[in-house]
Amino acid sequence: MVKHNKNQITLMQYIFLIHGVQVGVGLLTLPRELAEIAGTDGWISIIIGYFLSTVAGLLIIQVMKKHPNGTILDLITHYFGKWVGKIAALVFGLYFAFLASIIFIRECLFIQFWILPQTDMFILMLLLSIPTYLIVRNNIKVIARYSQLVFFMTTWMIFFYFSPLKEAHWLHLLPVVKEGWIPIFTAVKVTIFSFIGFEIAFFLYPSLQKKQKASAGFIIANTLTLLILLTITIVIFAFFSPDEITQFKEPTISVLKIVEFKFLERVEIVFLSFYIFVISTTVLPLMYSTVFCLSQLFGAQNHSKFVGWYLLLNLVYIMFITQTFDRNDQLSKLVQPISLFLAYAFPICLLIYVSIHDRIKGRANL
Amino acid sequence: MKRWVLALVSILLIFLLSSCGGRAPLEDLTLAFILGVDLDDENNLTFYELNPVFHKGSKKGLEAYEVRAKTIRDSRRIFDGLTTGEVVAGKIQVLLVGERVLEHAGWFSILDSVYRNPNFSMNTRVVAVKGPVSDVVFYNPGEKPELSLHLKAVIDKSYDRTRAVKGTLQELHREVYEKGMTPIISEVKKEKKLELSGMALLYNKGKYAASLDVPESTLLLVLKNEKRHEVTMTIPIFPIEKENNIFHKNELSFQASRVKTKIKTGYKKNAFHFDVKVNMTVNIMERIFPEDKVKKAELVKLIEKELQKQFTDLIKKIQKKKIDPIGFGLYARAYHYEQFKKVDNDWGKALAESDINVSVNVKVNAYGAVK
Repeated sequence: MVKHNKNQITLMQYIFLIHGVQVGVGLLTLPRELAEIAGTDGWISIIIGYFLSTVAGLLIIQVMKKHPNGTILDLITHYFGKWVGKIAALVFGLYFAFLASIIFIRECLFIQFWILPQTDMFILMLLLSIPTYLIVRNNIKVIARYSQLVFFMTTWMIFFYFSPLKEAHWLHLLPVVKEGWIPIFTAVKVTIFSFIGFEIAFFLYPSLQKKQKASAGFIIANTLTLLILLTITIVIFAFFSPDEITQFKEPTISVLKIVEFKFLERVEIVFLSFYIFVISTTVLPLMYSTVFCLSQLFGAQNHSKFVGWYLLLNLVYIMFITQTFDRNDQLSKLVQPISLFLAYAFPICLLIYVSIHDRIKGRANL
Repeated sequence: MKRWVLALVSILLIFLLSSCGGRAPLEDLTLAFILGVDLDDENNLTFYELNPVFHKGSKKGLEAYEVRAKTIRDSRRIFDGLTTGEVVAGKIQVLLVGERVLEHAGWFSILDSVYRNPNFSMNTRVVAVKGPVSDVVFYNPGEKPELSLHLKAVIDKSYDRTRAVKGTLQELHREVYEKGMTPIISEVKKEKKLELSGMALLYNKGKYAASLDVPESTLLLVLKNEKRHEVTMTIPIFPIEKENNIFHKNELSFQASRVKTKIKTGYKKNAFHFDVKVNMTVNIMERIFPEDKVKKAELVKLIEKELQKQFTDLIKKIQKKKIDPIGFGLYARAYHYEQFKKVDNDWGKALAESDINVSVNVKVNAYGAVK
């Protein structure tokens, strides 16, 4: 069993880890996906998605309180037995593995399309894999520190988005609730995935130093994500016409194409280059969770070997199968129902079961 | 042993770094500064390109090319065959579109490459040319700085003085797709010299609708609430007989320090109503007529009356053409969404049928240093 006592993370690190996993490649396309469904009312869907994910996250923490010194895998083993625990490790491991791979490949696709169109995907991924390996083979504390560092290193990028505001047309946002509430609720199916990633709270809880602050920390992390998603979405909705916004595949990048300084043109490339760090704070914790689950599954003490194999598998995969945005989209569509189950439905079911179980057991002890 | 492996791997990785291979020295590039699109007499698409020459031996600093090609991307093939270096599109400052191109609806789709290809800058100014594009591209301003810089400076300066739109590719894209307004681009003409002649107003699909001269452009920008650093107008205050008016003794110039346009919307009897209120605080910069000609209190009324007439004329001209460069449609959508949705595919027509009132409110701040 992996020891959690030595590798404790502070509340700040916990906040930035969760927030980092949530904000990533999704933000680049989110405003368009929202506009396609709900027009300029899409920002309301973000707020609804925020409430849903906050509830789900708080449920996760309630579940984890029942078994504070272990991860979700230990908890499942405790309540359901060893084999169910192994199956859970497998399910979570595969889920995180797929999610991390999809995002990792998408990151490479974005870099290739916007920054390095001549470079082979394989080389891009190889180059990204090396620092990834160096960080992920360490324990959770190192990854948490990395997330915190990246957060402070990249927050200034939000200021890029105030520049297009000079040409914003706030009239685009009116009237609020144009076509009724149905499109807004439909668009929630996009926004609940923008907050996905908080399910790593299942694995972070035992490492957190001050467990009584877990819920507060989670809410702070989720609110931080909300603020970033909302700011960028509203800027983009005010900047682009509602009739044109769906023309841009990645409006979050396209909007920066008009920002120009005397000494610097093509700001979107600078932005995206830094944004690679932001994406890495999604990918690295997910990869860590993958190898954590796998090492639990095989009862291994050291997970660094799994990191190497996992990255190698990714490289082999993209070497033999040409990657496109379409294929990547299809794959992420496939993972979405699993996300929905593991992050939203699973905590509810688990909490109900655990509560009933404890009550019955409590009575039996009387 | 381990150290050797590490060193070997590091060396290998350095070779992999992509930036080491595809280096591009400036002398080996042909940076297109101006791209022009026009139609020749037989309606063949013609592309123009102007680029600076960095070689030491060359006397002229610039070279311009004219080619016939199918599309913008296709034209690059031919330009590559003509120029020394690789043609690079990322630095295009000005995109010139000929009058003959603008006469055809749907010309906008030839710009597809510009939007699809991330290398193009979205800040390229799109400028209409009254007459053939070749006149502008092959024009040598002589004493002036190089043409692309000159042209860009003219547009930007006029934009700062509220006389022209920047008309970037990004703005054009927005205005073409936006149903509630029609596109505007700045317009230049070359007679003896190259000059900014005002704006070209386009229909929604990009077809040419009308031109505005520079004073009208200022009025339009005021209505759009796009006052920049300075708004200056020169207007006649009272009518005067032609033959006695060599020195335009009825004119007054002012600079508006504050301009705010408020548009209120209404919907009655199947038509939209727009109430446009222009509030201005002005400083009088020039008054050709003597002080006692018009009383102070009356002067403000006369300025308001003249401005109101000019604004109303402009709006009538726009309504007649069934276009909406001001963007009344944005207001209609924001405040009367359901009614707007019914007409948004032909908003220009709906605007032509709607009722627009302009009222002007002027406050004079300063009358100048002399009486």
